[in-house]
Amino acid sequence: MDLWKLLLTLAVAGSSDALSGSDDSSGKPKFTKCRSPELETFSCHWTDGVHHSLKSPGFVQLFYNRRSTQEWTQEWKECPDYVSAGENSCYFNSSYTSIWIPYCIKLTSNGGTVDQKCFSVEEIVQPDPPIGLNWTLLNISLTGIHADIQVRWEPPPNADVQKGWIVLEYELQYKEINETQWRMMDPVLSTSVPVYSLRLDKEYEVRVRSRQRNSEKYGEFSEVLYVTLPQMSPLACEEDFQFPWVLIIVFGIFGLTVILFLFIFSKQQRIKMLILPPVPVPKIKGIDPDLFKEGKLEEVNTILAIHDNYKPEFYNDDSWVEFIELDIDDLDEKTEGSDTDRLLSSDHQKSLNILGAKDDDSGRTSCYEPDILETDFNASDVGDGTSEVAQPQRLKGEADLLCLDMKNQNNPSSNDATPATQEPGIILAEENKSRPLLIGGIESTHQAAHTQLSNPSSLANIDFYAQVSDITPAGSVVLSPGQKNKAGISQCDIHPEVVSFCQANFITDNAYFCEADAKKCIAAAPHVEIESRVEPRLNQEDIYITTESLTTTAGRSGTAEEGPSSELPVPDYTSIHIVQSPQGLVLNATALPLSDKEFLSSCGYVSTDQLNKIMP
Amino acid sequence: MDSKGLSLKAGSLPLLLLLVSNLLLCKSVASLPVCPSGAANCQVSLRDLFDRAVILSHYIHNLSSEMFNEFDKRYAQGKGFFTKTINSCHTSSLPTPDDKEQAQQTKHEDLLNLVLTVLRSWNDPLYHLVAEMRGLQEAPDTILSRAIEIEEQNKQLLEGMEKIVGQVQPGVKENEVYSVWSGLPSLQMADEDTRLFAFYNLLHCLRRDSNKIDNYLKLLKCRLIYNNNC
Repeated sequence: MDLWKLLLTLAVAGSSDALSGSDDSSGKPKFTKCRSPELETFSCHWTDGVHHSLKSPGFVQLFYNRRSTQEWTQEWKECPDYVSAGENSCYFNSSYTSIWIPYCIKLTSNGGTVDQKCFSVEEIVQPDPPIGLNWTLLNISLTGIHADIQVRWEPPPNADVQKGWIVLEYELQYKEINETQWRMMDPVLSTSVPVYSLRLDKEYEVRVRSRQRNSEKYGEFSEVLYVTLPQMSPLACEEDFQFPWVLIIVFGIFGLTVILFLFIFSKQQRIKMLILPPVPVPKIKGIDPDLFKEGKLEEVNTILAIHDNYKPEFYNDDSWVEFIELDIDDLDEKTEGSDTDRLLSSDHQKSLNILGAKDDDSGRTSCYEPDILETDFNASDVGDGTSEVAQPQRLKGEADLLCLDMKNQNNPSSNDATPATQEPGIILAEENKSRPLLIGGIESTHQAAHTQLSNPSSLANIDFYAQVSDITPAGSVVLSPGQKNKAGISQCDIHPEVVSFCQANFITDNAYFCEADAKKCIAAAPHVEIESRVEPRLNQEDIYITTESLTTTAGRSGTAEEGPSSELPVPDYTSIHIVQSPQGLVLNATALPLSDKEFLSSCGYVSTDQLNKIMP
Repeated sequence: MDSKGLSLKAGSLPLLLLLVSNLLLCKSVASLPVCPSGAANCQVSLRDLFDRAVILSHYIHNLSSEMFNEFDKRYAQGKGFFTKTINSCHTSSLPTPDDKEQAQQTKHEDLLNLVLTVLRSWNDPLYHLVAEMRGLQEAPDTILSRAIEIEEQNKQLLEGMEKIVGQVQPGVKENEVYSVWSGLPSLQMADEDTRLFAFYNLLHCLRRDSNKIDNYLKLLKCRLIYNNNC
């Protein structure tokens, strides 16, 4: 063994010396490469020596030796296959190949060893190139400039990767066609790899090579794969910018529609008035009708109390007084419902506008019929009482409505207008519960006056004066029945005690007291009831106080100074001392001089003039 | 009754024969099943164990290749050591398959046992390699660190393989066979060249054996876990 080793070493040394010291190193055949593509076979290649000299190259042979066991075999065996691997090669098939076993080969020329090499097969593994390269497009960037592709291939067919005998790793290289330098990617173990960020306007070349894992040497490159990326359509990068007509038209229409709807359904009155000018409605100056709507009677009271501002407006304004047509003469002649009808019908037509009127000065004249408008207040003697600070009756509930209904029915106008007005009256009464319109009240006063004037003659059961309890939105006047009429109405047992107390039937809701009646009540009943009646009235109703109520209140409040006695005539007019809203007015106890005898004789409806004279 | 019984027997006899023949045939061709216990987690854990074992063996081979190359570059240039490495390794006597056909014909239990044997055989040499390399003159740190790492990983691989064998062949207790390494004196030779050659040889053998183990394990993994379809 040792001898063999020594001999072999010497032989190798000698051969190497011979090789290095040969005259023509280039002329000797040499081993170029030995490789095993799949760890099952291997082949060795050598070069023929360059024939510088005239000598023939000689007969080249390859001998190999392998150590199968601990010992070297004695003899060198010749190459089993000079042909399969090409010229100047020796091919060892799988039966001659053993892995992890040292081999030594030597090249002889004419019997002389020219080259020798020792190796193990696992050290010379260089796989074949992969096959079946193809690529697929992964995605294209949003800019349309770059794209990613996935390159796939198959392992070399002779490498048995399925059974795991050999494990390969691959390296991909790519470049643009007109480039010279290949770009390398890191080795991968899988047979597909993505290539990112290729430019769409360029063509690329791709090649793959493989090596055994753990080895250093790569095999040959595969065939080049040409990658021609799809040309991006030029739409994305169009320079021309088409004006988006469709979008503009659609959005314009949409916007116009929105604006139009806003205009039409908007609550903005200004805008509305621009487009749809409203029909003028009558307007009463001075008090904002919204106050009535909101039921802010305190403010109205306050306004009223500022009589410097308002009283003149109210009571100096005679123009509306003229609207009331007093036809006392007509009462006898005409049918009972004629004036009433006219009043009612006209009211029916107009009161809607009256009550719904906004603060618009312009419309007053248009609301009333000419006959009513032109009626002068001739019957001022009688009709002075018509103008007054009327106090619309406030209906307290269904019972009141029924009362009125019944009362109205008991006062049969027996015409078409009345039943027609009843319903709106009821409706209005309901609506106006919290809305004692001064305006309406004032106007109702006139109508009340008118009605009252007309009613007594036409209606048997009511007094000469009947209070207008309310004005319906339809314009009809709802009258309260006469004060003597109450006894028969069973539904109207609102305050039976009052009835019982007073011989004259007071409607408890009636804020108007005739002086005589008041006197009667005062005489008949203790003050307390009346006062209690009156007082709560004022408390509850919160508002308009007639002179009678004033006087009664005065009678109540000024107990010290004025005995609420029937013997003393209660002054019709009392100056208002203090306005205590909402409780009402505190009146001066002093009796005011009554300049006009007219007031004494009747339940006093005070005209504005008279009131102005009285009030300081 | 009798006729019925006879007919039953007659009908069942070929079936019985078929069954027996199947059993015999199957026994002869195939080796033992991988998971005889048939437990579900056996297959899963075996896959994990093999994956880990392959990773370790690959790692060890990488380290040993690098170590050998560095040593060659550093110490063995121009000394013609390679020609002398025809010397056998201490594990050459083990009946390991030397080509693909042989490996495919080896049963997986035998192959596993061979792997275990080789791994056990290297316990001692690796330990001494590290010890002696510290004393090597101007030993580069890279070589030494790799030697230390290889020794550690070899132990882990041995443990993993023993687990695999325990799952594949439960209850079979093999003798702990391994090759004895007797190269320690040469590592401690006074002569520098001799010593270097001893190292060179050992590293060369280590590289070769780690490559063998790596190859066997990859082969077994593809055969047992992936059914020859890696």
